[in-house]
Amino acid sequence: MRSEKTTSSDAGPAVATLVVMRLYVADSAPNSLKAIANLEAICKEYLQDNFELEIIDVLEFPQRALADGVLVTPSLAKVSPSPAAKIVGDLSDRRNVLQVLGIRE
Amino acid sequence: MSATQSGPLERKFSVPDTGRAAGRAAHVAGERVANGRILRLVKSGPERQALDSGQVDAVLDPASGNAFLLPDARRALFSAGGRIANCLLAALPRKAYQSLLGELEPVTLTSGEVLHKPGERIWHVYFPNDSQVSLLMVVADRKALEVGLVGREGMVGIPLALGADVSSVLALVQGSGSALRMKAASFREALGRCLPLQHEVYRYAHAKLVQARQIAACNRFHLAQARLACCLLLTRDRLRSNQFHLTHEVLADTLGIRRVGVTNAAGALQRRKLISYRRGDIRILNPKGLKAASCGCYEIVRKLAL
Repeated sequence: MRSEKTTSSDAGPAVATLVVMRLYVADSAPNSLKAIANLEAICKEYLQDNFELEIIDVLEFPQRALADGVLVTPSLAKVSPSPAAKIVGDLSDRRNVLQVLGIRE
Repeated sequence: MSATQSGPLERKFSVPDTGRAAGRAAHVAGERVANGRILRLVKSGPERQALDSGQVDAVLDPASGNAFLLPDARRALFSAGGRIANCLLAALPRKAYQSLLGELEPVTLTSGEVLHKPGERIWHVYFPNDSQVSLLMVVADRKALEVGLVGREGMVGIPLALGADVSSVLALVQGSGSALRMKAASFREALGRCLPLQHEVYRYAHAKLVQARQIAACNRFHLAQARLACCLLLTRDRLRSNQFHLTHEVLADTLGIRRVGVTNAAGALQRRKLISYRRGDIRILNPKGLKAASCGCYEIVRKLAL
């Protein structure tokens, strides 16, 4: 099972509002690991501690992913702030990820 | 991510995933059913684009409520038992390893494939998982002698870590299998920022240097039969299997002798019932006996490099 939650709100964020995300992965498959690494780097650089990320392993929780309308992994869903948005793939296209998360470069 | 590949879809989705555990994903009876289902699920949109550019690991099926791993992901997860198969990478702290993941690309190496040529620029470094790469010195008259062997314990492309970007050896895939590769520029950059990687690569470079010295002495002083036994034992250790395929030609290059010399040495080991050898298919029948028949270099190289 792999369902992690990272939450913090004390440190000075680069983005004012708390960004809540869910990353759907398939265990430690190559693209999933890349997506985690790429997202971690983006969070560190742009969001500092002002984010909430839940990593969901679809091999353990497929129903959870289906309920959220996820069809492939890796997929990243931005839950808040609205509007909700989704991006699929290994998140190597940083500009696209930032756009989906509503972060200015 | 938006690039569309023209490769055949049948190949990409041809193997139905039966899941990492029987209960996790429903068994799909036939390829056509699996193909049809997966293709129907991701007919268009960003999911389809990600699929076509090879950035997807698994597809979810709302009808059955299961997740289906794609072949590449399944291979990566299960061929290595879910662990990091390359020992050099596995020795890194988890955070250091994760910081490299964005740059590492899974590849399949095929026997006979040339990774680096002598005198030519190194474009990628390779971290073998279950593949094996022979490092050969090629002399003017096209004769070759093996000066190193790389398997899951190490990497191919050490000169880059030592400030050279040109290979001095022919890096030839000897045993097909999977590996992770990294672009030369990314490797240099990673070496600069990731001290644990630097430490592991330098430690490995030293082991390879000692191994090359040992091979030089071994080639000069030990008999072909003992050297063949040593070579087979080292191959067994790297591949973790008592059965593998090595042609006469490869063994001749490895030992720096003629093919007839390989025939004689292999025949002698076969008569002693230590190995069976038929058209390159080698089976070690008696590892203890083979160890006794090998030269002392086996233990030295094994301790240093494996």
